[in-house]
Amino acid sequence: MTTLTRQDLNFGQVVADILCEFLEVAIHLILYVREVYPSGIFQKRKKYNVPVQMSCHPELNQYIQDTLHCIKPLIEKNDAEKVVVVIMDKEHHPVERFVFEISQPPLLSISSDTLLSHVEQLLRAFILKISVCDAVLNNNPPECSFTVLVHTRNSAMRNMEKVQVIKDFPWIVADEQEVHMQEPRLIPLKTLTSDIVKMQLYVEERAQKM
Amino acid sequence: MMEDVVLHHRLEGSDGLSDLIATTEKLLEPFPCRPPPVFTPWFSDSSARRPPPIRPAKCAPVINAADVKCRPEALKEGVGGTTNSPSVVDKKSASVAAMAVKRSWSVLASKSVRHRSPSLSKGFRHALSVHALHLRQRSKWVISQHNCGAVRDIEQVWQALSKAARRAGLPTCNANIQREHAEIWVFCDVAYSEQVGHFLKERLQLVGSIRLHVHKLGDVFRL
Repeated sequence: MTTLTRQDLNFGQVVADILCEFLEVAIHLILYVREVYPSGIFQKRKKYNVPVQMSCHPELNQYIQDTLHCIKPLIEKNDAEKVVVVIMDKEHHPVERFVFEISQPPLLSISSDTLLSHVEQLLRAFILKISVCDAVLNNNPPECSFTVLVHTRNSAMRNMEKVQVIKDFPWIVADEQEVHMQEPRLIPLKTLTSDIVKMQLYVEERAQKM
Repeated sequence: MMEDVVLHHRLEGSDGLSDLIATTEKLLEPFPCRPPPVFTPWFSDSSARRPPPIRPAKCAPVINAADVKCRPEALKEGVGGTTNSPSVVDKKSASVAAMAVKRSWSVLASKSVRHRSPSLSKGFRHALSVHALHLRQRSKWVISQHNCGAVRDIEQVWQALSKAARRAGLPTCNANIQREHAEIWVFCDVAYSEQVGHFLKERLQLVGSIRLHVHKLGDVFRL
């Protein structure tokens, strides 16, 4: 078994690769399950050995890829505390927030088995939870949109430089109204504890959606 | 507001009475109230002190259901189909284009068509008896590149077939294009295969002979 620390060259990249890949699948699935986009743009695929829905709309896919590409350096440096998929109504007030809380241990012991099979099983459980979360959530109003918020451990302005990795994809500090939700209902979905990452997913749902 | 309290006791001397009254007065005193301590969260990162989150300045694309219906080919060919960048595509050309890129289709024949049993030629009946084929068994016509002639390719024949199939309602048929083999496979019940074969040859103006293939048996008939 190989023991790596955060200072090791590739460790942060490995974790960021795994998490960003997972977040991409999770975002597509959330958008499908919560009906943010028409179901016609989604196709059934297989990931983590379970069926998932992925968008085949080039513009949306590009948007998600660009977002995650920018988040990756923050995860790599363990600066991203939360990645939040916010579903907003047509007035841009959040109705649901899918919060991925991420924490990485400073000292790690990883092997190929740890990375490939165990973590994959844990991530699969997240995906399965997301795919059935509509059973515990109320319907969203029509014409919803979404955004991705990143809560950083340090100053947002300092991290802003790290995320500006794509020239035409600038980042800004989120507005107050995009962050705060009135009377949210908390729905825990899944937690994950592995050697390389700890993560929990919960949903904050606005009490009055319509 | 406190009501009168009546103390009942036994007359066993005045000393005991004064003690009892003192005890009763103590009991009737109001309970001392301790103000609760101010709540201090045990977690260090109070949300007030956390930096505000960041988000992409660009908004996520808006896609309407109408856009998806009008431009299915855009989803597969990488062309943007959002309301932010609308383009005018008439429904007819969109559906033709959709048929062109579609890899397969199937026809659900009406019951009246299915119950009409087609007449079979002598040669085809012979082939049925030789290979012991059941009329409800599935078979497939294979259209190869050489059947398309010199001026057309397999894609053009596939487009023509897809268009023709929509109008003709080929009984029990489903078809797909095998682009890697440059072949079109048209599946149907054995009962209708001769009728379908003639339709394919005439309507698509195929050259040479097309092969009727049955699983495990191979080519059983040529037309």
